[in-house]
Amino acid sequence: MKTLDPRMKLFFVIVITTLALLFSHPLWMLCLSVTALLIGFFMGADFNVFFRKLIRFTKVLFIIAAVQIIFVRTGDALVVIDGFALVYYDGLMRGLNTAMRYFVILYSAAVMAGENSRRVIASLTQMKVPYMFAFMVMITLRFLPIYAESFSDAMTSIQLRGVELKKVRFGRKIRLYGHLLLPVVADSIAKSQDLSAAMEARGFGAKKTRTAYHVIEMRKSDFLFFVVFSLLSAGAIAGYYLLQ
Amino acid sequence: MPETAIRLKDAIFTYPQSGFKVICEDLSLNTDETALVTGKNGSGKTTLLKLCCGILRPESGTLFIFGEDANKQSLGKIGQNVGYLFQEPSRQLFAATVWDEMTFIGGILGEDPEAIKERAESLLRRFNMLDMRERSVYRLSRGEKQRLAIAAILMRKIRYLILDEPTTGLDGENKKALIEVIESLQNDGIGIAIISHDRGIINCCGQKRIHVEGGRVVQ
Ligand SMILES: Nc1ncnc2c1ncn2[C@@H]1O[C@H](COP(=O)(O)OP(=O)(O)OP(=O)(O)O)[C@@H](O)[C@H]1O
Ligand SMILES: [Mg+2]
Repeated sequence: MKTLDPRMKLFFVIVITTLALLFSHPLWMLCLSVTALLIGFFMGADFNVFFRKLIRFTKVLFIIAAVQIIFVRTGDALVVIDGFALVYYDGLMRGLNTAMRYFVILYSAAVMAGENSRRVIASLTQMKVPYMFAFMVMITLRFLPIYAESFSDAMTSIQLRGVELKKVRFGRKIRLYGHLLLPVVADSIAKSQDLSAAMEARGFGAKKTRTAYHVIEMRKSDFLFFVVFSLLSAGAIAGYYLLQ
Repeated sequence: MPETAIRLKDAIFTYPQSGFKVICEDLSLNTDETALVTGKNGSGKTTLLKLCCGILRPESGTLFIFGEDANKQSLGKIGQNVGYLFQEPSRQLFAATVWDEMTFIGGILGEDPEAIKERAESLLRRFNMLDMRERSVYRLSRGEKQRLAIAAILMRKIRYLILDEPTTGLDGENKKALIEVIESLQNDGIGIAIISHDRGIINCCGQKRIHVEGGRVVQ
């Protein structure tokens, strides 16, 4: 399955992400995580990239889960300390669910990271997706590391301005993260403006059709994957709503 | 009172992606002098100065900041004493307007609003930017962004400032304004390290030369 058509991978990522957003029950989410992991593994997901990302995000995942575990106060009390109920059933379930949701979304990003961007473009345009759009998809995938870099520069420089992250109160920390996003957004807007100007200057988009060098054909295994995976997902969605 | 602000001793650092290595036996930067860091493109100037303020951490060796071992200090702690101006000004501006840029960190740290206001006003006045206080940060020219970034760094009472090629892309007028800022910081007793190839900077500000070649300091 390593050489599965890139369109199928894109399809896989879109479906998995949608399901992850749809499901709000930890048991379903767990099944989804396991299925995604297995399929991704056979697709040749880049586990190196994935685990590096995951390590960077574990703290965030943990905080997100913890916040929900503590603040959702319905259902049976599970952990009671000195007569004060700290953890409720609903909170715990919600926390687990959210943590797994982010896990799955990160993971599908890793599946795409293992794919050659030329092949993604080529396969999309041959599906009659406008080249401009396919190009945008690729550029987004390509520039993700640069956004990460400008985010980490911003993070460094705000800390060096005397902000000790550990000492900032929770409410103010949210404000801080809002500020941190500003240079990243500004950076990406500037970059995309430069990019589109440079592309137009080189005659990009002057012709509607392009000559393909890589011709990517769907093979039997791709169709098989498509059918099985679609059925499985449709079944999962139906099951999820029927059994609720 | 002149002091050793930064001392980097027996430090070794390697970029894992490119294998580029910086080795620094013993480098001291003092508050009463302005150090001019020169060297070819890619010789390791930026890397060396990032090691000097904890942005990059050495594999071995020690960074001392005002006499204290700073290897384990957080950037936030180091930032109380040392400021760093990145080569790219737009990555270090975080607010919508000039005034917000100067004041928002004080707000997050829960400092006294009156004191913040006073300090921001006096800094903007000194940098000739007080009448721009309501301007959008993203509509400033490169030179103005650069000046604002320095002014914002100075909202902390730092004692040492590192500038990475601050004159890149500035015209004569803006360069002159920047040099004036640097001179006024020298008069305040703030030590400065500047990476620069600029004649104007070299002639007016450099008192101590640090030349970098192939990742090593050759004085
Ligand atoms: N993040 C990084 N990962 C890997 N290698 C890097 C990284 N940053 C810089 N390098 C490499 O380290 C070497 C020194 O880079 P550095 O930025 O310190 O040089 P510099 O003297 O500041 O150059 P310039 O005058 O162009 O700013 C270069 O060969 C560069 O390719
Ligand atoms: Mg440099």
